[in-house]
Amino acid sequence: MTDVMIEFRDVCKRYGTLVANDHLSLAIRKGELMTLLGPSGCGKTTALRCLTGYIRPDEGRIFIDGQDITDVPTHQRELGMVFQNFALFPHMTVQDNVGFPLMIRSLSTTERAERVAQALRLVRLEGYESHYPRQLSGGQQQRVGLARALVYRPKVLLLDEPLSNLDAKLREEMRFEIKEVVTRLEITAVYVTHDQAEALALSDRVAIMNRGRLEQVGTPEEIYEHPRSRFVAEFIGLSNFLEGHVQAVDGDIMVVSVGGLQMRIPALPNAGQGQRVLLFLRPNEVELLRPDDPGGANVFDAQVEKATYLGDTMDYRLTFGQDMTLRVQSDAQRRFGQGAPVRIRFPRVRCWAMTSG
Amino acid sequence: MTGFWRTHSSRLITLFLLLPALVGFFGLFFYPMLLTVILSFRPEGQAIGWTLENYTRFLADPDGRWVILLTFILSLGGTALSVLLSVPLALILREKVRGHRFYRLMVLVPLVVPGLIGALGLLLFWGTRGWFNLFLLQFVPFVERPVAVNYTIHGLILFYVWLYFPYTCITTLSSLESLDRSIEEAGEVSGATRWQVLRYIVLPLITPGILAGSVLTFMAAFGAFSVPLIAGGNYRPLAVEIYKQIAVPIPARWSAASAIAIIMGVLQVIFLSLYMRFVRRGGGTGGPS
Repeated sequence: MTDVMIEFRDVCKRYGTLVANDHLSLAIRKGELMTLLGPSGCGKTTALRCLTGYIRPDEGRIFIDGQDITDVPTHQRELGMVFQNFALFPHMTVQDNVGFPLMIRSLSTTERAERVAQALRLVRLEGYESHYPRQLSGGQQQRVGLARALVYRPKVLLLDEPLSNLDAKLREEMRFEIKEVVTRLEITAVYVTHDQAEALALSDRVAIMNRGRLEQVGTPEEIYEHPRSRFVAEFIGLSNFLEGHVQAVDGDIMVVSVGGLQMRIPALPNAGQGQRVLLFLRPNEVELLRPDDPGGANVFDAQVEKATYLGDTMDYRLTFGQDMTLRVQSDAQRRFGQGAPVRIRFPRVRCWAMTSG
Repeated sequence: MTGFWRTHSSRLITLFLLLPALVGFFGLFFYPMLLTVILSFRPEGQAIGWTLENYTRFLADPDGRWVILLTFILSLGGTALSVLLSVPLALILREKVRGHRFYRLMVLVPLVVPGLIGALGLLLFWGTRGWFNLFLLQFVPFVERPVAVNYTIHGLILFYVWLYFPYTCITTLSSLESLDRSIEEAGEVSGATRWQVLRYIVLPLITPGILAGSVLTFMAAFGAFSVPLIAGGNYRPLAVEIYKQIAVPIPARWSAASAIAIIMGVLQVIFLSLYMRFVRRGGGTGGPS
């Protein structure tokens, strides 16, 4: 495939008994912003360090633009990188920091100055050329880092949790700025983060990692709407999980028994009677009805155990069936108090087959 | 009385706590210093009268000026070599190589071994029949005569390095370890080789630390006494020269010794203030601090 920029092919990295990357295979397309998302220790940083060459994988190969770079030293990989702690050179001015990659590449002074000015314009830091990093705010420092990473037009831009050292408001602002710059330059970018909101907002595609393995790769919509595992569903957004088993299969509908209640949901392929399943519901995908509303398919009686006012939404904890609890969020227009009886409807239920045991 | 005690108790307690330090300062430092200064202006062997002769005699004497020059050659040479030795060593030690704890301890050995013992050991090792020359004669072609190290200037500088380089090495290591490694990674990702990272990023950043550490090495080397006394042969830096004035002639020439001591102190203060000014300017590596 010609439109692949970065490819991990069966990459493994172990630290003693700890497996940081377990047969990681991932292709990142040209011009795409791919986020490696996962909790700390999931191997996302190891994967990034394998790309920079700071870590050499035990097994597997890594390709950039069709070239096997597994054994290419870091400085020849033509990468740009933005660091979590900025990693600016404290003894150099902004001008020299951004110009460093050009100085190393022996560009003439005039061309260097021109390209530095261009890069600083890109991150809106004109006029700060003679400042030292410590004279800048966190957001400005990170913009210098971004300019330094982009100034020599690398094939690939790597971003290692670039926003986690900034305060919340600035983080959101920088998020859009990074997205805009990356889109404008049509550069391939790999973004590492543990923040799901960041990942959803920025990425063309997200790769969710857990314990050194890829859990799921897809667009933010795919990941959110169709999580392929409980881990992904839990990691992205809020979720309710209910365990049940298949009672009957009727064409493309199956009846699942959950905590003494029967739910009719779209049948899983190959689901047979007795198959144990895990139902998964987003809190905002549960409909709250008045107790006197008419019943129907997938409508159940429930009771409000706890109601929390969140401004634009109400956050409820409900009990229903036999000792089942459910978290539901609905808009704050219609409110139910603590202990109030309600009806809930499940317009949409997703489920996975569980392996027995 | 009780009123006085109440209002002044905290001051009195402070004074009481300061007393040992004050007694120590005056008795052990200030008084001897003052005595030395006074003595250096007295005619030799007399308790009265003032003269500059002790200074002029030493400074006018070519031998005297040679002693001063030699002291600088030895201490600056030793300091420069210490830096050259410390930087690579610290770069290796920070990588946490196998057994790095042991090597770190070894670096400190010269600080705990008494100078006297160290000097004797070095004399034995570097002597014409020492291991160094035995190795040269045995294994290195075209070496037919033992190489003279002991009682030469370069030998003495070598001994200085062994004794005083730990100061420089430790401070170099600590400033290296306080460096953020991701800065170096940023340099490498930007396209710099390891050497370029060392040259453009690491060295400029640790230079203040190296210079600060080398001041300690320089001060120790400038005042070195036991090593040049034992291993210096005909090379006598200031400290040994002072001792010689007291130990050799009868009666001892206390005034001459005092004058040389004052000269030594003044030189040290002048040189240190110049050095510190240089260090504070960042060692010429740019960047306000």
